[in-house]
This record gives sequence, C-alpha cells and structure tokens, in this order.
Amino acid sequence: MSLIRYKSIDLDKKVILPIIIIFTMLAMALYAFVTLEHEGHWMTGMNNQVVWGLPHVFAIFLIVAASGVLNIASISSVFDISIYKPLSRLSGLLAIGLLIGGLMVLVLDLGRPDRLVVAMTTFNFKSIFAWNILLYTGFLFTVVIYLWMMFEGRYNKYVTKVGMFAYAWRIILTTGTGSIFGFLVAKEAYDSAMLAPLFIAMSLLFGTAIFIKALYFLRVSFDLQTGEIIYKRLKKLLTYFILAVFYFTILFHITNLYATTHHDYEFFLLFSGNIYTYLFWVGNILVGTFIPLYLITSKKFFGCWNILLLASSLIIIGGFIHLYVIIVSGQAFPLDIFPGYIESSTFGDGVIATYTPSIYEIMLGFGGVAIASAVFILGILSLEFIPESLEDEQIQSK
Amino acid sequence: MCNRLITKVLLTLFLIFFSGASITHENIPHNIDKTIADKCVEPTDIMRAQHHIFLKQQSHDTVVKGIRTTKYSLNNCISCHIQPLADGTYPSIKSEEHFCSGCHIAAAAQVECFDCHASKPFKKKEISKVAE
Amino acid sequence: MKKYEIKLDRRSFMKNSAMLGLASIAPGVFFQELAYGRPLDEPASSKIRWGMLIDTNQCTEDCNACVTACDDEHGIEDFGRPATDTQWIRKMNLTDELSGKSHSLPMMCQHCENPPCVDVCPTGASFKRDDGIVLVNKHTCIGCRYCMMACPYKARSFVHENLENQVPHSPRGKGCVESCNLCVHKIDNGDNNTACAEACQKDGHQAILFGDLNDPQSDISKQLHKYGGKEVRGDLGLNTAVRYRGI
Repeated sequence: MSLIRYKSIDLDKKVILPIIIIFTMLAMALYAFVTLEHEGHWMTGMNNQVVWGLPHVFAIFLIVAASGVLNIASISSVFDISIYKPLSRLSGLLAIGLLIGGLMVLVLDLGRPDRLVVAMTTFNFKSIFAWNILLYTGFLFTVVIYLWMMFEGRYNKYVTKVGMFAYAWRIILTTGTGSIFGFLVAKEAYDSAMLAPLFIAMSLLFGTAIFIKALYFLRVSFDLQTGEIIYKRLKKLLTYFILAVFYFTILFHITNLYATTHHDYEFFLLFSGNIYTYLFWVGNILVGTFIPLYLITSKKFFGCWNILLLASSLIIIGGFIHLYVIIVSGQAFPLDIFPGYIESSTFGDGVIATYTPSIYEIMLGFGGVAIASAVFILGILSLEFIPESLEDEQIQSK
Repeated sequence: MCNRLITKVLLTLFLIFFSGASITHENIPHNIDKTIADKCVEPTDIMRAQHHIFLKQQSHDTVVKGIRTTKYSLNNCISCHIQPLADGTYPSIKSEEHFCSGCHIAAAAQVECFDCHASKPFKKKEISKVAE
Repeated sequence: MKKYEIKLDRRSFMKNSAMLGLASIAPGVFFQELAYGRPLDEPASSKIRWGMLIDTNQCTEDCNACVTACDDEHGIEDFGRPATDTQWIRKMNLTDELSGKSHSLPMMCQHCENPPCVDVCPTGASFKRDDGIVLVNKHTCIGCRYCMMACPYKARSFVHENLENQVPHSPRGKGCVESCNLCVHKIDNGDNNTACAEACQKDGHQAILFGDLNDPQSDISKQLHKYGGKEVRGDLGLNTAVRYRGI
C-alpha cells in the first residue's frame, strides 16, 4: 500500500481575505454578545413564545453538520472504502471546527453564560439537553484522538477501532440533538421519534455538502488536484443523502397529517400561506431538495465542480431553512391548551407568534460560522491535513 | 537568556505582591450603623472569609428545602449593612457606598447576588429582624 | 497584609455536623403540626401537597385581580413589551368552537406531579420541591429556556432585561426563567395562602382556592370531593396540582 502524502499551506494572500472576513465576523459576534449580556434578550427577536430563534438554528445546523462531516472519515475507517482515506484528516478537522462553532453560539445565547461552569458540572440526567452537553464535549475529544491516530504513523492501526467508536458516538449525538425536539411532548410540531433519524439524515447531507465546499476551496486556492473518482463518489453521496432527508421529511409530515390532532399545525405549516409555508416549500423543498437533486443528477452538468459547489451551497441554504422552519414554526404555532376552544389572553395564547430575527442574532450566528472557518484555516496552516493529490491514479491504489 | 531571567524575577515579584487576594479592610468606606457594628451574626474575620459559604448554604436550604432561618439570610444581612445615605436614599449596588460593593469593587470580584436579589431593604413591611 | 483564617478544626466540624444531624431529625419532632404554621427552620415536607382549585364559574372576563396581585407581590414590572414581559399568571378567555359558550379563567404553572420542565432542565434548576411546588432554582438556572419549550401550559417566562426594583422576598433577575411558585415565600413563612387567592377572595369572587391536597379535611380537598376538578391537558398524564371547575 503506497503512502499518501499530506501537506499544509503557508500564509499567503489567498488565505488573507478569508482571515479578514473571519475576524470581522468574530468581532461582530463579540459585539452582539456583549450587547445581549448587558441589555438582556429583549434586544433580540426572541420572546416568551418563540424562545429559541436564529442563534439556535445556527447552533443546531453547525452541530448537526459537524457530526455529518465526520462521515467522510467514517466511510474509510468503518466501511473500509479506502478511496476516502486521504480525505479523513480534513473531515476530522472540519468536524472539530463546526462543533466548536455551534457550541459557541449555543453558549453565548444562554441567559446566563457566566454559569457555564454550572452547566458543565451539574447535570440532570433525565434531560436530553444534559446528555447533549456531554455528547458534544465527548465528540470533540473523540475526534481529536481520531485525528491523532491518523497523524501518528505507528497508531494508524488503531484508526479503525477509534473510527468505529467515533461513528457510534456521532449517531448517538445526532439522535440526541434530534431528540431535544423529539422529546417535547407538549408541542404539536415535535413529540416524535422521527426527528432523530431525520436529524441523522440531515447531518449526513449537510456534512457532505460542507465537505464539498471545503474541498472546492482547496482546489481553487491551493491547487488540490482532484480526479473523476472523487467527484463521482461525492456526488453520489450527496444524491443519496438528499433523498434520505426528503424521505424522512415526507414520512414525518404524512404521518402527522394522518393524525387529526396534528392537523392544525400541519395545515398551518404546509398550506396556510404564511412565511413558514413559503420557507418550507420554496426554501427547503425547491431550493434545498429538487434543484440540487436536478443539478447533480443531470447528465448535462456531469464533471462540473462548479455545479457540484452550487448544489452544495443550495443544500446548505435549504437545509438551514428547513431547520429554521422546524425550530421556529413549531414554537410560533400556539399551544392547544384547551382543545375545542378558541383561546385568547394577554400572553399570546391562541395567536401565531411573530418572530423576526434581530441583527444581534444574525451576527451571533455568523460568529459560529466564523469560528468553524477559523479552526479550518488554522488547521490547514499548521498541520498536514490536505492530501497532496486526489487524482484517480493516486487514490485508486490506496 | 537574560530576558528569561528578568521575566522570571518580575513574575515572581508580581506574584508575591499580588498573591493572597489580600485587600486590607481599612480605607474602604463602610456605610454601617456603628452602634451595631459588632453585632454581626459571626465574628468579622470569619465573615470576611466565609460569608459566601454561609450565603451559598443558605440559598440551597431556602430554595430547595424551604428553610428560611434568618441568621444567614441575605435579607437579614441587608437589614443591618445597608443603611440609607445622608439624603435618605439607599446606595446603588454599582457604587462603592454599598456595603457589599465596597469590597467587591476593590477586589474586582463580581457579586452576582444582586442581579436577582434586592440590594436594599424593602420599605413596605418589616421583612427581617436583627440577629441577637 | 492580613491572612484569612478558615476554621477547619475538629471542634467546629463536630459542632456543625451535630447541628446538621439535629436539624435533619427536627421535622420528625413536629410531625403533628406540619400542615400549618411550619417553623422557619423546618424543611418542606412531602406529607403536604399544595394545590389550587379554580372555579371558573366565578371568574369574570373583566376581572384581573389575581394578575395584579401577583404582579404586586413579586415586583413584576410592565415594560410595555407584551411579547417579552413576564406573566406568572394570566387570564385566558375561552370560547367553545361549537356552542359559542365563553369562559374566563386564570392560567399559571400547574405544578404537575410529573413536570416536563423538571425532566428537561439540564442543570436541575427546574425542580419539584417535596411539598409539590415546582419552581426554578435561580442560582443554578443558566437561562437555556428549554423548560419553556417543554411546558404544556406556557407557564414560564424568561426575564429579558435588567431588573432593579426586585422585592426582597421574590428575587428575580435577567437571564433566568421563572414561573408561578405558589407564593412559596408566604407558605414558608406560615401564611398558607397565595397572593392571587387572597386577592380573589378580597374581591368577592371566590374563584381561587388554595390548600393542601393531601389533607382530606382541608377546604380544597372537600370541594374537590364534592365538585370534582378537571386537569388541563389531562391526556398528558402530568397529574397537576391546579384543578379547574366549570369547564
């Protein structure tokens, strides 16, 4: 088996612009955080009805994507498809970056982030949220060790075992993230075990899309040579994962539509013409599912990396919108506290809650993206994460 | 080599002078009724070192168990230690004239109690008694 | 420079342990008098279960006495932002979709026996006290708002701004979640009634009755026995302590 060579990059002008953008975004996120810390959450669009908003959509997107991007490494370690082996290191790096980014946004949005130590030491183990805190930090450790096994030549023989452990941890982590909503019996939009596999499918989809974007960046800026095999494999993965997410989405909504008790929410989301209806059908189904599916299955665009990038970008946007719809519309829809009655009160009962993200939430969310990017850039600057070549001949014989 | 030595020396001196978290008790304004100054529930040196421990235990007892003994109750502390200023108003927690802030601002140790707890006695009705 | 001496000697350890031991058996000594006028140093006991019976027939749509009383008792201010302002208790107006009959009733934390908010809290800040009161330990709350998502009654509020005029018996602050705590400070101090119930009685409506569900001789138990009490969203199996008549 011939050796795969890896390289790092030097600080040159191709990476300066991304670094400047990252720093700007981080500064804005810091400003947003300090403002919210001082003034309180009344400055955001979140309220007593829609308690989790844009920051949480960003956080969950990043965390779910972190779990999914590690899949590329898992395919080589766990499923023993050696063509993906050169990509494992990048996959691990991206996983770490995305998770840290997601966690940061989650923590910075807390009402009392100064009590992070309390959150890290006091656990109520009946809460899936508490389990998630442990799963997220454990994931970071696991991926670090996974990468260490990959980097250190004499430990390469442990990559499979650690890879399997990381794979299992990923599945549990994403199940836990989906269950944050799935375990909420009170809300009509949640309360379903389907959310866990839906989130797993989403993680695979978002992770692969983000990986393709990172690979594209390396191709364009750092001359990473790629062949047709890698292109075809990644394109196929993306296709399967789009279909998987679509399947679970359809199953979730059709099952809910069958139950009369869920009709109010489903009709509100799918057919009533409000902002969430448009976001779901246009943002998620059209832009996030059908258009990318067409782009990557069409023979007209075969071989074109630009199209693959476009499809990945649309998937990311569509997936983000899908999460936004799940998280926000589920809360905006009022609780049916007295079925059979029309409710009204001074606390927003019986009315659809309005939620408009504030600029602070947008800045905070993008800060998470910036952190993920920063970890990626720092990683490829300092250590050898990038394979020398992904040409067909290079990876065939591995 | 020389730089390293200088750094080490400076660091050591810094640590010697600023270790022990010792702010002296004098020179910090205290707005307290002098006639009852020695009637605190514990001796001064114990209070200085352990007041947060007493308060933390009390917070657990009160919130979780519903035990509202007054000895270490925050409201009880406030009833003695927070006296009105000359113009009749109570000092703000953000100013050094507030008993707690007097030390806490000097020590730069955030006192988060008053994010939630009232930092001044309540005028409406008698809340707590002075400890015997 | 002064040094701080912390007493960690054997004598104070023994003294403190002995006091702790005494304090822990003290409740047993007061066995007979648990229901009324509980001493300050006595912890809440599971022999009591505090609850409420709300007679919606006595509630009128234009009366807000309970809400006003709660706001006054706990120092809840109106910031003019209804979407984010705290409401521990609110009046709900219901209209039957089929018949058009309308009801008005107060809605607050239902103090479930199996509270979903307690299940989901990552730090255990949301907890159920031994005497059935569900409340938030604001020393441990990190403000994640997951409990607000989990509550089937939308009972909880998040404090969205800096507060400065808290009342000493009801500490509340920015960044923590809170909800009706059945006026726990009044109960612990021996005044076994809530502000809302008192205000309702004073206003002459008698819609809110507060008492010990575990005591068969209490007013609330007798009324429940006579008229029954409906659990809101009973299909969730939460066994709430707040029950309603007339709907």
